[in-house]
Amino acid sequence: MSWMQAAPLALVLLVFFVAPLVFVFVVSFFDYDRLAIYPAFLLDNYADVFTSSITLQLYSKTFEYAVIVEAITVAVGFLVAYFLTFHVRTTAWRIGLLVACTIPFFTSNMIRMISWMPFLGREGILNDVVLAMRLSKTPLDFLLFSDFAVIVAYVHILTMMMAAPIVNSMSKIDKALISAARDAGASEFQIVRDIVLPLSRTGVALGSALVLTQTMGDYFIVHVLSGGKSAGVVSAIATQLSAFEYPPAAASSVVLLVVVVVLVGVIFRVVDVRKELAG
Amino acid sequence: MNAHAAIEAPVSTPPSQRYDLEMVAVSKVYQGAAAVNGVSLRIPKASYCCLLGPSGCGKSTTLRMIAGHEAATSGDILIGDRNVTDAPPADRGTSMMFQNYALFPHMSAVDNVAYSLKVRGVAKAERREKAREFLDLVRMGEFSERLPAQMSGGQQQRVALARALITRPKVLLLDEPLSALDPFLREHMRGELKRLQRDLGISFVHVTHSQDEAMALADLVVVMEAGHIRQAGAPREIFERPGTAFVARFIGGHNVLARDGRRIAVRADRCRLGSADDAVGFRGRVANVEYLGSTVRVTVAGENGVDAAALVSDETFFAAPVEIGGQATLVWAERDAHALSD
Amino acid sequence: MMTEPGQPRPKSFYFLAAFFAAFLAFMYGPMLVIFILSFQGENGGMSFPMEGTSLLWFKQLLSDTGRVGDIPSALLRSLEMAVLASALTVVICVSAGLAFRRRFPGAGLLFYTAVASLVMPSLFVGFGIALGFKQLGWRTSLFTSGLGAQLTWTLPFGLMITFATIGRFDRRYEEAATDLGASAWQRFKDIILPIIMPGVVGVALFGFTLSYDEFPRSQLTVGAVNTLPLEIWAMTTAAISPVLFALGTVTTVVSFLVLTAAIAIIGLMVRRRSGGRATPA
Repeated sequence: MSWMQAAPLALVLLVFFVAPLVFVFVVSFFDYDRLAIYPAFLLDNYADVFTSSITLQLYSKTFEYAVIVEAITVAVGFLVAYFLTFHVRTTAWRIGLLVACTIPFFTSNMIRMISWMPFLGREGILNDVVLAMRLSKTPLDFLLFSDFAVIVAYVHILTMMMAAPIVNSMSKIDKALISAARDAGASEFQIVRDIVLPLSRTGVALGSALVLTQTMGDYFIVHVLSGGKSAGVVSAIATQLSAFEYPPAAASSVVLLVVVVVLVGVIFRVVDVRKELAG
Repeated sequence: MNAHAAIEAPVSTPPSQRYDLEMVAVSKVYQGAAAVNGVSLRIPKASYCCLLGPSGCGKSTTLRMIAGHEAATSGDILIGDRNVTDAPPADRGTSMMFQNYALFPHMSAVDNVAYSLKVRGVAKAERREKAREFLDLVRMGEFSERLPAQMSGGQQQRVALARALITRPKVLLLDEPLSALDPFLREHMRGELKRLQRDLGISFVHVTHSQDEAMALADLVVVMEAGHIRQAGAPREIFERPGTAFVARFIGGHNVLARDGRRIAVRADRCRLGSADDAVGFRGRVANVEYLGSTVRVTVAGENGVDAAALVSDETFFAAPVEIGGQATLVWAERDAHALSD
Repeated sequence: MMTEPGQPRPKSFYFLAAFFAAFLAFMYGPMLVIFILSFQGENGGMSFPMEGTSLLWFKQLLSDTGRVGDIPSALLRSLEMAVLASALTVVICVSAGLAFRRRFPGAGLLFYTAVASLVMPSLFVGFGIALGFKQLGWRTSLFTSGLGAQLTWTLPFGLMITFATIGRFDRRYEEAATDLGASAWQRFKDIILPIIMPGVVGVALFGFTLSYDEFPRSQLTVGAVNTLPLEIWAMTTAAISPVLFALGTVTTVVSFLVLTAAIAIIGLMVRRRSGGRATPA
């Protein structure tokens, strides 16, 4: 009975997720030339990944983005979730504000990314403000087509992926615990540090896993908003794919996959995801 | 309400030291509706007070206002001789034990108890030692390193008690403290609470909907209904002279009947089964017979849907048993009929 | 910290409220800007000031001038795909959600496979599917490989919401129905489905919008034709003109319509369930 109900899900994931990854894994050992790929068992593609000096640059760029975005989204997501859960008094307001936060999530990421262009460009709104306030004599060039723009777009698109699981965790904290801590004389800061933060860490972990993997897996935001100047690991793979160099792209994919799985595994050691969702 | 007269302490002590808690015309209004309506109450030093009433009567709101978890819409709350109406919860001399204990799930028993010392900046070794003393007081010393999830309900409650007591409150507030326990443990903890209250010499304010609990524990029972105090007094006084039909019905063991256009209350255990020609009595059909061991409760359905019951000893009952469906008359001595004010 | 109604707000409330307002401005500001700029005058550029207003860019979108791809067909294709993906996501996720209430062999493996699909860099999934199809000699196309690729994205999200909904479902309702003689199908149809319905609408909404906006998994798998996000991608790398903003406005309006409909339906269901009563204090 249970298996029949779960079978469609299992089937789709098997055909369109597991099998393709197996293909990627297998092809990572293949030989290739400009025309086609040839079955083989070569470790050359991996050797290239590990010996190339570019690899380290790509990974350090990817981690740089991931760490900065993770730090910002945790801070912003936590404050937003905390405000909604513990400062908004009525349920109607809480739901209303939460919906307001969630709406942009349901609109196109591509468009949300593009929407930063008229904002950050040389003649964009931010520069107009900067010039009008005489903060700078010339327009700021670092705003668009830069790491700054990439990180702004990541934060814009991913913060709700962090905030939503944190809201979910916080909403399960018994309000009597907060009253009990206030009874004990704890200040708001102490309550956040000693009660709220430890009890919402599962949400933080789940959000971190989502934000981290989305940042590490991205290639189009970094491409468009850095103006092609920056590239992460996946950007390089996308480039190899467009050149039809499938086996090396597959090898790079497998390596990144292992890195991602290890990172997520570490995060999920802290959290029981299923329990977190069902509670 | 003549509640105050009943709890008036001797005049000789100075007023500021006679009461642990005073509430003066305290109200709480939510969106135009009064959850608590002009409650005035004085709790003498070192007494056990039970706020008793059905759900929604305002007893929990009253407790939360005393604790400072809810602001009073109007009125004053004094603890000791201090007006604490606008004071924050930690600065009132109260401490609250929550209904489901509200133990911090990620902290061990000793850390839960030590938390209020931690936020006051007491050093770790010192606060843990102090917390252990309080765990010993509630006989939980050997479980100090356990997390709440590793404790039984009764154990959790003891830890919650220790956590509330470590702040050395003048008044300990308990919100339905026994409702989550099984009946056996409930009676046991009842004794523990009473013992602690006596040993510590402070006042306990205990919210409950169980009249048994209130009778067994309280020096002062406060019966509430619809945001008002209906009657306050010693358990025996309330049981023997309920002021209103509501109080008589709620504390149980009473028949509320109409006599000469007034309402009276007669204790069921003062009624007996008489004969059909007794002049004073309540005549009707036997609706139910419940065997309770040492006593038997006979419920008689009269006219207009009024029921009355007699609690008779098993010996008396079985000497002249009645059957369900038969006719019966409940009779009582005139001095046992007690006039109600409504 | 939380205070009761009637008590004064703590200072931290005002700080956090200001922070929250700034956050909302950050979320909506840029979208508002492209919405306004999509009505840019005929001589205007990619940023302010507005040189008058016009509908030129929207007209360009609709016309098939070659400068812009075939937007109307791409939009239609994306909508068809989104409806299909949404329907499949609902059926598959609700069914799986029911299964996961009991332990069954491989439950953990299946769940973590779904989570893996969620956190997997999207490009790899598309790459893997494209590679597999190529190796097997099949042609990638919109409603085979493309749909499959999108499902690997919509299903895990749908499953999460289903878990959150069904996990809160009180099983005693179902046990009561069993006692009353309901069959498995009747229990599902009469008891479970009506109770979890708001969650199901949520799953449908996620399925729709995630498919409608999906780009990285679709890129290598949809075959010869483009979905709307792929058209947008092509435009960002080629012609940059206010047409892009007009397109952004159009697709955002579609997302908004779907979202509003879903919220309205959920709101209606929740209100009907509470019988119009206020929740007890």
